[in-house]
Amino acid sequence: MARGVRRTFRGAVAVDHVDVDVPAGRVTALVGPNGSGKTTLLLVLAGLLVPDAGTVRAAGVDVVANPVAARAHVGWMPDVHGTWDTLTTTEVLRTVAAAYRIPQARAAARVEELLATVHLADYADAPAHVLSRGQKQRLGLARAIVHSPGVLLLDEPASGLDPRSRVELRETLRALAAGGAAVLVSSHVLAELDELADRAVFVTRGTVAAVHEEVQGSSGGAGLDDGATDGAVAAPPRRYRVRALDATSLERALSDLGAAAAPADQRRPGTLEVDVADDVAAARLLTALVSAGVAVTSFAPSSGTLEAAYLGLDEQERR
Amino acid sequence: MSTTTAAPRDDAAPPAARRRRRPDLRLSGHGVATVLRLELRQRVRSTRWLVALGVWVAVLLLVTVLIGYALSTLTDGDAGGADGVGPVVFDAVVTLVLTMGLLVSPALAATSINGDRSAGTLAPMQVTLLSPLDIALGKLLAAWTASLVLLAAATPFVLWAFTRGGVPGTALVSTLALTAVTLLVVCAIGLGWSAVSSRLASSVVLTYVSVAAICFLSPLVFALSIPLVLTEERVTVREQDFANAEFDEAGEPIGGEPPCVTREQRLDVAHTERTWWLLAPSPYVVVADATPRAPIAAGGGPLSVVGDGVRAARQGETDAMRDYCSGFSEEEFIAEEQERRDALDRVGAVWPWGLAADLLVGAVAVAATVRRLQVPYAALPRGSRVA
Repeated sequence: MARGVRRTFRGAVAVDHVDVDVPAGRVTALVGPNGSGKTTLLLVLAGLLVPDAGTVRAAGVDVVANPVAARAHVGWMPDVHGTWDTLTTTEVLRTVAAAYRIPQARAAARVEELLATVHLADYADAPAHVLSRGQKQRLGLARAIVHSPGVLLLDEPASGLDPRSRVELRETLRALAAGGAAVLVSSHVLAELDELADRAVFVTRGTVAAVHEEVQGSSGGAGLDDGATDGAVAAPPRRYRVRALDATSLERALSDLGAAAAPADQRRPGTLEVDVADDVAAARLLTALVSAGVAVTSFAPSSGTLEAAYLGLDEQERR
Repeated sequence: MSTTTAAPRDDAAPPAARRRRRPDLRLSGHGVATVLRLELRQRVRSTRWLVALGVWVAVLLLVTVLIGYALSTLTDGDAGGADGVGPVVFDAVVTLVLTMGLLVSPALAATSINGDRSAGTLAPMQVTLLSPLDIALGKLLAAWTASLVLLAAATPFVLWAFTRGGVPGTALVSTLALTAVTLLVVCAIGLGWSAVSSRLASSVVLTYVSVAAICFLSPLVFALSIPLVLTEERVTVREQDFANAEFDEAGEPIGGEPPCVTREQRLDVAHTERTWWLLAPSPYVVVADATPRAPIAAGGGPLSVVGDGVRAARQGETDAMRDYCSGFSEEEFIAEEQERRDALDRVGAVWPWGLAADLLVGAVAVAATVRRLQVPYAALPRGSRVA
């Protein structure tokens, strides 16, 4: 979607040579510390900032050359949530629907549908200033998807939300992605991104540091390859982490059993990752390891890979 | 985990910012109506406006009553009518309404754009299919509607002054219409400053300064420029010959009024026909000049004085002869006044020029607003974030 994007602010390079792909049907996370240029990148992708160099395409339309056409396909949710406080939620959404040229007949139905999606149906006639922070965030999300965009850009949508709202947000975003939208979420909250995102793009100091193609989560990703959609995958392979008192014996035992293992966590050497077909196979592997005499101390599904990768990256930067 | 590091691509597309992008000049009634509805809803629901309207009406009522009382007292209780104090009252009330409008209108529009920007509600509008022109015109019309509401609340007082008599009906129409147009220009100026400056306080101040400049500064510059256009010329003067008369102790001339003689003198002549255009843009001048005059016998208020003065300035000193001799009787006075007025009417009207100048300023302000609202932004004004 974006190629070679560069944007400076008065000599400070905010975003430099960034290539970002946001495929349809998947949720991509944009991860990075504060000041890494995530918001700037999102502004460029949304068509609000002109990049000094590079191209941005959304749903096949060049955003810089043809911003008006691109806006019909892009939905953007800012991190600073501003709304017209004196309007009711229905009026807010109706106004935005009118701004997107949705005909009035359809707009009313769409607004009701949206309010139900973000669980704000009870507040349909309440003025926006009585909403709590989480509800305002949800209103902002509804505002961004009024026109059913193919590309959805969200800047820190989960900031300030309570856990319940976060879960609801996650469900909503996954549903949108399943509906075919290309979703890009920027966030610091790594723990939930594991559950939420299929891909992760790491950004530090305005450049893309790494792209993590498949993030293990409870709902699982589509596969290990970029963009490859295996048609009939019964269940995605699970990744488990194993620790034992003696690392070498663990390795030997695993290779004896034929399980492919790889070192997982550089902060704690001796932790290995294995891919198993499913939970049943994982249990069998554990039984086999214990019977082989390996002193297993920890055997659990791999999660928080995102956090590990991020912190590893951050450490590299800080060094 | 696969890792991709991006490599600099020198063969990428030409730098986006350096390509000249066509500005987005779409305009649609639907877009403007959407923004207008949004703005008006917000204005109506803010709690202060009813109080503000009440204060406005109260102040107008107070001052109008004072005007009426003061003027009737000064003319010994004249009942008004064509030969009374009616036109003076009318002029005074119109001037009051215009001044109050000029004082309040700037605040209605001066925080439109930068207020939205700091509340975080401008960018969400800009990512929709609304065009910058839609947003600008919608906000302008909303501010103007608010000004018109204030004007409508002031209309009863103008009507009351009109019923004091002596003023032609077209004067009522022209003053109200021109005041409305002036308020539109003021709203446009406020909108322009709010788009250009990122701080709320500075845009309000700049708007008030601009309005004051147009209203008072340009006439002031005109007055100060008179010395620049003074030339000494030979002028024919007809006046009473006081120089050769003799006076007694009480200061009365001996032998009756001195005769009138015609002689030539060298006097300073102000060629204001070269600088009259400095006076034109002031809204007071526009309203005054466009108001039809009351009949001569009725006298005149501040507006007609201004109107006459402006026309005279445009005319310049064209009289070859200055006649200070005649016109001591009432009939002679009226005839002379009529002649003077006809002469002034023959001089071109000043107010269309002033109005055109004001509308031009308003148009420039709206154009600046549209330019600032173009997205995607290439450069941000100092001290503001996009979102």
